[in-house]
Amino acid sequence: MLRFDHITLHYGSQTILDDLSFEIGEGQFAVVIGPSGCGKTTTLKLVNRLIQPDSGHIYLNGQDIAEVDRVSLRRHTGYVIQQIGLFPNMTVHQNISVVPKLLKYSKEEQDRIVHELLELVGMPYDQYAFKYPSQMSGGQQQRVGILRALAASPPVVLMDEPFSALDPMTRRTLQQEMKSLQQRLNKTILFVTHDMEEALELADIIIFLDHGKLVQAASPEEMLEHPASGLIQDFLGKHQPARSSADLTAADFMRTGVSTIPIDHGIKESISKMQRRGVDTLIVVDHQGRYQGTVSIADIRLTGHVVNTIEPLIRCSTPVVEAGANAKDCFDELISSGFPYLIVLNPDRTIAGIITKTSMASAMAEHLWG
Amino acid sequence: MNETLFSSLLRAIGVHLVYTVVSVSFGFLMGLLLGVLLSHLPRLSKVIFPILSIFNTVPGIVFIGLLFLWLNARPATVLIALSIYATFPVLKNTYAGLMAVDQQYKEAARGCGMDHWQRLSMVELPLAMPTIIGGLRISTVYTVSWAVLAAMIGQGGLGDFIYQGVSSNNNTLILQGAIPAAVLAFLLGSLVDALQRRAMPRGMRKAGDGQ
Repeated sequence: MLRFDHITLHYGSQTILDDLSFEIGEGQFAVVIGPSGCGKTTTLKLVNRLIQPDSGHIYLNGQDIAEVDRVSLRRHTGYVIQQIGLFPNMTVHQNISVVPKLLKYSKEEQDRIVHELLELVGMPYDQYAFKYPSQMSGGQQQRVGILRALAASPPVVLMDEPFSALDPMTRRTLQQEMKSLQQRLNKTILFVTHDMEEALELADIIIFLDHGKLVQAASPEEMLEHPASGLIQDFLGKHQPARSSADLTAADFMRTGVSTIPIDHGIKESISKMQRRGVDTLIVVDHQGRYQGTVSIADIRLTGHVVNTIEPLIRCSTPVVEAGANAKDCFDELISSGFPYLIVLNPDRTIAGIITKTSMASAMAEHLWG
Repeated sequence: MNETLFSSLLRAIGVHLVYTVVSVSFGFLMGLLLGVLLSHLPRLSKVIFPILSIFNTVPGIVFIGLLFLWLNARPATVLIALSIYATFPVLKNTYAGLMAVDQQYKEAARGCGMDHWQRLSMVELPLAMPTIIGGLRISTVYTVSWAVLAAMIGQGGLGDFIYQGVSSNNNTLILQGAIPAAVLAFLLGSLVDALQRRAMPRGMRKAGDGQ
C-alpha cells in the first residue's frame, strides 16, 4: 500500500535518511519511532512531499508519488501535526471542510461530512460546528485536527506526534479514539512518536529508525520479544516483558552476596565472621567454592569446644535448589520446608545465592509494579 | 464666517479628502501587493527594505518638490507623491504580518493541499489582516498631513489656508486650515479603527492566536 524504496536524503554533508526501505499494508497502523534526529518526521513529510528525497521512490498503491502533482497528493493525504494548526480564523465547520472545499465538493456534501465526522467523535454538531478553535480545549482542538485530516476520506493519514502536546489524560483518550477510528474506517496510518508506550498501544507495525537507518520493522509483540538492538531495548525499557511468571527462575528471586566460609576454617573464625555479618548461619564451601553444607551458631555452642574445625559440625539439611529451577517450585519448597531460606546453586555447585521470604517478596513486588 | 470663505473651505476640505482617499487607496493596494511579493522573496526583501527605509527618510516636501520639477504642477504630481508615501507603512506591515503568521498554520495549509494563492487568501492574509490594517491606519493619518504639501505647488487642499496664513502672518487663516485637517485625520483614523475591528478574524478576537 505504502512502500519506501531505498530512500536517501542529505542536508549538506549530513545524512538524514540512509537507504530507507519498508512497506506498510492496507489498513495498517504504522508507528515510526526513534531517538530525536533519527529522521522520523522527515520520513513522514516525504509522503505528502513536503520534503523531497535525494534518491529512491515512494509508492502509494503502486504509484510513484513523485509523479503525482503535489497539491493533489496532499489533498488526498490526511495530515495531522503536533501543534494542531487549526486555522484560527475559521470555525470548526470551516476547518473540517477545508479539504473537501479545495476538492470542490458541493455545500451539501461538505455539510454532511462535517455532521458525520463530529458525530464520530461524540462532538454534537450544534454545540461545536460553529465554535472557533480558541474556544475549545487542546484535546477538542486535536480531535477536530484529526477530523480535518479525515474529511476527504484519504487512504493514508500522516500524523506527526499528534498527541504529545496534550496532557496525559487527554492523550490516553485520544489514543483510544484514534485506534478505534482507524479500525472502523480502515485507514492506513503513518504515525510518528517518540513515546514507546504510545507506539506499543497503537501500532500494528513499529518502524524503528536511528540516524536515518531502519533498525527494525516489526509488530509490537515481536519487537518486545526480539528487540533488534540495545537501543530498541532501551526504548522498550519498562515495557520489556513482563516475562510470564512461568518463566521466572530461582535466580530471579534470590539474594546474592551471601556469607560463606571455607570448610577447613576454624571455629573462632566462623564465630567472628557470623558476628561481623550479623548472621547465625554460614554456608560452607570447599576450595573450589562448591557447596558443602551449613554451619550454625547453635551447633558451635553445643559442641564447638570439642572440635577445632567446622567440618564435623556441617549440616546438609537446608534445602538446595538449582539456579534455573522454577520460581514457583522454589516458593512452595520454601514454605513447606519450614526453613528460613533456600540455598541456590549454580550448575557447578558453587553458591549462586539464597532465597529468603524477604527476597521473594521484593522480587515479586518488582515484577508486579516495576 | 462669510459665504465665500465657507465655500472655499468646504472646497478645500473636499480636495484634501480626495487627495487623501485616492492616494491611500493606491498606496494600500501597492503596499499590499509589494508586501505579499516581498514576503515570498525573503532574500530580495533583505536588500530592498534598507533601501526603502532610506528613501522613507526623504522629507515629503523635498519629494513633492522633485516630482514637481519633473511633472510640473498638476494634481497628478500630488497624487503620485502621496501614493508613494502611503505605500510604505502598508508595505512594511503587510510584510511583517505575513512573516509573523505562525509556522503551524503555514504547514497545516500546505499539508491540506492549498496552492500558493489559496494559502495566501484563505490563511495567511486573514491572519495578517489586523497588522495590515494597522499599516493602513498609519498611512491614512500621515497622508492627511502630507496632503497639506499640495498647496506648496498650488494644487489646493487645506494647505492653501495654512500657507496663506503663514505668509501673511494670519493665525485665523492657519487655524482654518489646521483644525479641519486635524479633524479629518481623526475621523479617517477612526474609520480605519472600525475597519480594523472587522478585519480581526472572529476566532482571534478574544484569545490571541487560538492556541
